Amino acid sequence: METIYEKLCAILGSENVSDDPATLEAFSRDESFATPMKPFFVVKPENAKQVQALVRLANETKTPLVPVSSGAPHFKGDTVPSVPESIIVDLSGMNKIISINRQQRMAIIEPGVTYGQLQEALAKEGMTLSTSIRPRATKSVLTSLLEIEPRLNCLHQFNYTEPLRCVEVTFGDGNQIFTGAAGNGPQDLQKQWELGNWQVHSNGPAMTDMLRMVTQAQGSMGIVTWASVKCELLPTIKKMFLAPAKKSTDLEDFVYKAIWARIGDKLYVMNKAYLASLMGETPEEIAELKHIMPNWVAAVGISGDILLPEMKVSAQEYDIKDYAKQTGVQLLSKVPGAVGDAVLEKSVSPSGEAYWKQTAKGAFQDIFFITTLDRTSKFIEAMYALAIEAGYPTEDIGVYIQPQHMGTSVHLEFSLPYDPGNSNEVKKVRELYIAASKEMSKLGGFYARPYDIWSTIQLNKDAQTYEILKRMKNIFDPSNIMNTGKLTLK
Amino acid sequence: MAFPKEIYKALEDIVGKRNISENIGVCETYRCIPSQSSAHYGPSEHWTPLPQAVVLPGSTEEVQNIIRLCNKYGIEFKASTTFWAAMGYIGGDFALQIDLRRMKSIEIDVKNMCAIVEPFAIAATVQAEAMKVGLNLNIPGVGCSSSALANASSWIAFGPNTIFMGSGSENILGMEWVLGGGEVLRTGSLGSGDGWFCGEGPGPSQRGLLRGLFGTAGTTGVCTKMAIRLHPWPGPADFPTYGTVPAYKADFGPNFKCYTLCYPSWEAWARSVQYFHESDIAYSGHRQFSMFGRNLKAAMLKIITDPDKQLCDIPELLEDPYIKEQNEKMKLDYQVIIAGFSERDLEYKEKAIDYILEQTGGWKSEMMLEKDMHDYALLYLTRLGHKNLNFVMCGAYEGTFGLSPNVWRTIQVVEDATAQKRKWEVEHTSIAATGGDSAMGSLSGIGGGGATGWEFFTNFDAYDKESVRGTCKFVDGNQEFHNKYSFGPDFCRWNSDVRHMNGYNYTQEEHDEMFSKTPQPWIFAYQYKIREAVNPKNLSGSYLRTVNPEKLK
Amino acid sequence: MALKDFRPMMERCSNCAGCKFIPFDKIKSIRFAENCPSIGYYNFMTYSARGRFQLSQSLLDGRTKLDDTVTEAIHSCTSCGYCDVGCKVTRYNLETLEHNIEQKAYAVEQGKVLEGQKPVIENLKKEQSMLPGAKKANRTDWAKDLNLKDLFKEKAEVAFFAGCKYSYEPKLQKIAQAAVKLLQGAGVDLGYLGAADNCCAGRAHQMGFLNEFKDRAKANIKAFETAGVKTIVTPCSDCYHAFKRQYAKLGLNVKVLHVVEYVDQLIQEGKIKFTKTVPMTVTYHDPCHLGRLGEEYIPWEGKEKKIFNQIHTWEPRRPRYNGAYGIYDAPRNILKAIPGITLVEMERIREYSWCCGAGGGCSESNPEFSAWTAGERITEANATGADALVTACPWCKDNFVNAVDENGNKIEVLDIIELVQQAM
Repeated sequence: METIYEKLCAILGSENVSDDPATLEAFSRDESFATPMKPFFVVKPENAKQVQALVRLANETKTPLVPVSSGAPHFKGDTVPSVPESIIVDLSGMNKIISINRQQRMAIIEPGVTYGQLQEALAKEGMTLSTSIRPRATKSVLTSLLEIEPRLNCLHQFNYTEPLRCVEVTFGDGNQIFTGAAGNGPQDLQKQWELGNWQVHSNGPAMTDMLRMVTQAQGSMGIVTWASVKCELLPTIKKMFLAPAKKSTDLEDFVYKAIWARIGDKLYVMNKAYLASLMGETPEEIAELKHIMPNWVAAVGISGDILLPEMKVSAQEYDIKDYAKQTGVQLLSKVPGAVGDAVLEKSVSPSGEAYWKQTAKGAFQDIFFITTLDRTSKFIEAMYALAIEAGYPTEDIGVYIQPQHMGTSVHLEFSLPYDPGNSNEVKKVRELYIAASKEMSKLGGFYARPYDIWSTIQLNKDAQTYEILKRMKNIFDPSNIMNTGKLTLK
Repeated sequence: MAFPKEIYKALEDIVGKRNISENIGVCETYRCIPSQSSAHYGPSEHWTPLPQAVVLPGSTEEVQNIIRLCNKYGIEFKASTTFWAAMGYIGGDFALQIDLRRMKSIEIDVKNMCAIVEPFAIAATVQAEAMKVGLNLNIPGVGCSSSALANASSWIAFGPNTIFMGSGSENILGMEWVLGGGEVLRTGSLGSGDGWFCGEGPGPSQRGLLRGLFGTAGTTGVCTKMAIRLHPWPGPADFPTYGTVPAYKADFGPNFKCYTLCYPSWEAWARSVQYFHESDIAYSGHRQFSMFGRNLKAAMLKIITDPDKQLCDIPELLEDPYIKEQNEKMKLDYQVIIAGFSERDLEYKEKAIDYILEQTGGWKSEMMLEKDMHDYALLYLTRLGHKNLNFVMCGAYEGTFGLSPNVWRTIQVVEDATAQKRKWEVEHTSIAATGGDSAMGSLSGIGGGGATGWEFFTNFDAYDKESVRGTCKFVDGNQEFHNKYSFGPDFCRWNSDVRHMNGYNYTQEEHDEMFSKTPQPWIFAYQYKIREAVNPKNLSGSYLRTVNPEKLK
Repeated sequence: MALKDFRPMMERCSNCAGCKFIPFDKIKSIRFAENCPSIGYYNFMTYSARGRFQLSQSLLDGRTKLDDTVTEAIHSCTSCGYCDVGCKVTRYNLETLEHNIEQKAYAVEQGKVLEGQKPVIENLKKEQSMLPGAKKANRTDWAKDLNLKDLFKEKAEVAFFAGCKYSYEPKLQKIAQAAVKLLQGAGVDLGYLGAADNCCAGRAHQMGFLNEFKDRAKANIKAFETAGVKTIVTPCSDCYHAFKRQYAKLGLNVKVLHVVEYVDQLIQEGKIKFTKTVPMTVTYHDPCHLGRLGEEYIPWEGKEKKIFNQIHTWEPRRPRYNGAYGIYDAPRNILKAIPGITLVEMERIREYSWCCGAGGGCSESNPEFSAWTAGERITEANATGADALVTACPWCKDNFVNAVDENGNKIEVLDIIELVQQAM
């Protein structure tokens, strides 16, 4: 009887199937507190057909698959198998930019395409793609989009899933479809292009929204093998202004006003620990910056591209400063420790080899969820209180408030740097992470992307949603092979 | 088949005596008739079937109890709000019509820019309440007389403001649904009691089960409450209109401008549209008044802006040299509104439009700059309060053709479509002869620009059966045109695969046959499975396109 | 037109909802956005103009019978005419009010009437008044001591026509008397019809009792002609509409004025001068039959003609009654002219004013519905913060006086003549 290894080799070629102990070990854990679990194999498909064959095989053999598109390091526990006998489906090798279309401002990318790679190619066409904050160098653009990592340009985030549009997905049952507008035509991109269709519209294809089955899913529904993304025009002029404040609440009115007035193609709020971590290149520099930076900063970027860019930027600069004045904040080109344009550059550029959040202490643990801007102070106060109780230095807690979906909600992120070599500190942060995750939920924080322990915390709050989620899983992954164990109650 | 007494009594116990009727006269008024919008299964001579009773629930709990009862007794049900289009009506003989007009509350979260609405809060009322606090909402082409909730939950919902605000789908936050099986599902942050601010997740988004490119037209359940994202309104709080009925106009102050931009060729037209897609300058963008037809639009605009003019004045107006000239100049046009958030912002937007016109050889229609015209167009596009203008000429209309969402593709064929319609107008009398090109639609069907939506308004007389039949033949011809260019179904027939022309539901077997032949049939198999998950007894008609997965094996 | 003649309209109604809301362009809030008392109260589609069109088709096709529910639905319409305005904001080819009344007439012809309508019509026939219990013998008691000329005995420039409400109800009689004195004081040569003063029967028309209306109207027209009436002035909006629009169709050829038009004119001419301040904030209720239904009748005979294949027009050009030229400014001019008065507007005004609930005979036939309709208006009036609700119709006033808003509060209700009187 053919072994599973042989079957995998038959589909993918032996060079793309690995059971090398070091490789398996590398995929057995990440930088989070997730419980390690060694996979059986790591496989590297090269195309969608192989992915589909692999999923069908997994259905036959009831083998769990864990899709991974970004290169290491990983931080959220989503790429660590939750059950034994899993196969890591490493898609990082599928890294082609399939098409770039300036007329439609669309690009189609495979899962292994990174931000650096894509931005360089787009820039040649006078375009760019919105990013999450300083993505890591190895980060898969497609994963970042599928997991709805918050974008810096919330005011262009018309759809919650923006700028992700259509995908090709092989669901857990082995069936492969195109989503969105791409689902309406033949299952062949070339043929669709010949008909003048450019996979622009994300919803659908029909009366249900198949894209939304795979977003925020941690690979638990299917494997995406390409995505079309909506690009922005590359700015010819850009400026970033910073509004310093003693308290986060001092910035609320200003941020709300900027959202209302639609100014700020970048718009976010950080405390000094977060900003220092973003800007500092070494632990020492970060420590120094924390010392001199204002407690809180709101960052507002404005830009112009093809339509009278100077005039646009000049008008917006005048207006945003006026709104700042009206709401009692100062809008500056620089604040102690940070120049606006440098903050912008850092924010949108991929991180270096070492991920920037690791610079301060070597490791970090994030807690993030969705709420509204006017509720953020409540969570911040609670986080600080819990840190004090846990003996964690509050001055080290990075706080990032990223308005999303045109400002109707915010991603609130607490980043807790720690020294991975100090077992006491590791324990302290682990306990604080668990306690704070629960407390934030109690206070109304919504874990839309429920990684690790947040899955249990969130789903325990909503029995009906969990019930429907199980039915969804049963529709698209009836054998429960896709990232088995994620998005469940533990 | 009338409901047995015990079923009627049980329904009456849920909603109270005042809010239920099985009287035939009452039930007869809950049938869709040929002059209504078919949205979109084409001109038909048939009424939809007679419901056995009509109920008017007042709360989510009542809706839930009604649906549970329907599940118990296998009764088809369909909920509607304004009953604008055929999709809101039942399609079988053992069916209950749910009328949601008693549920119409609106709450606004000013800071976080959303409105929490019940089904019968029509878009005009949501807009009125929103404008009081400097906000506005995307009102789709169907007009402000339609339910804001139904637009966003159950159909496509794009219109003039979509380029600035996003479409119905994009503006959905938390939703409350009574699923077809009777369970109540609250999506996103609402489900865990955290608030209305996010309708997605946790994890994969359950709203994806309930709403795609367009909604499920009531086949997955009844949406009873929803948070809709609102957008800035830098205009007056009290919506100042003036003028003698029916020629109302609005002056929103100096920071609002409405222009009809015109171009020398479709290529220039498309290039200009691309500029708008790539910038944030348009508050609204619609090719609107071409709905009256290429030959008649200037004359019709004169009529509807003058309280004393009528349709019989068209021939005389067409002889007016000024109107002739203006009509010719606005042949390839669209309307945009720019809203200044400040003086500088307005100045920039004005200059940007001048720049676009310079780059594309375009111009502003002089006639549409006249105060009356400007203020009428501004009002029309902002509130979309004149839905009946679709019907004004003949008493009925359908949107036909429905060209590619890609403007560059559309402009290659739009003159062919124009010629085809014009030929029918000249050679037949079934549709109004308005000049071929009556293509209208939103400058963008999604927020920020990109996909568009095009339909050729085709006016016919629902009272005149020859006109109805002739229009059907015209649409059949259009379908051949669509097939030639691989455009899929004619817009007018989009829904002909979800309701028979006689008004009745399709059977599963019929749907299996249709959808198993589509290029990607598994999409419809998943929809079948979704229906099984949320509406296991399949009690809400056949608008959900499904194929039994067994048929694909 | 018989009901069957409305078939083209029935089949051309597109259910745009215009008949259920104030003009969409005028909506300022969710609370006061709707405008059809009938569907507002009963909620079923059947009770809207759109539903009525569809109901008629079903009746004519024999699928629906005139049972009690249908009969009640047909008559539960105040004939306020708003649906007609709402429809004609965009349509040129539907006549919803005419249809609603014809539908009532269809029911009446088959003996399908409401219990509450019977005494009203019986009294019209017996005592020439639509107020049950009112006696013909007492009709002109209110006019004693006013030195009004009896037009059958002597000439006068203007005939004052009080109408049933002002003639019989003691509180309202004082207002009619004040109106007469006001006009006389301004030098108007006033007379009245004396023994020939009878009900205008306008409400019978609104109720679908078209034969009763026509009988009464013809008799009245004859009386006007015999008395040589050239100008009629009336303080009652129902009478005003009956004469101006309905009687005109039957051949009445006299100038018809509502008191507010006349008083406004006299103020402008300097013949009425105010000497006292009335320190009040008031809001004005446009009576349906003075406002949107107050447009002058224009004779027309013609037929439908399609142009450009399918576009509906009429040959010759047909007059369009859509409330554009109703009487809205005259009462407002009067209020603005009274020293001390501040006029604040409700949301539903002028052509899209909300009905008081008394129309269509509903105050007699459907008192709960009628009271609810009035209560809606009181709520709207109280929302303006006004001290008083002013109107120019006795039916409106009477219906408002006993109504309460959604919180159980009342508001002072004044006839515009009372305010004028206070300022003199």
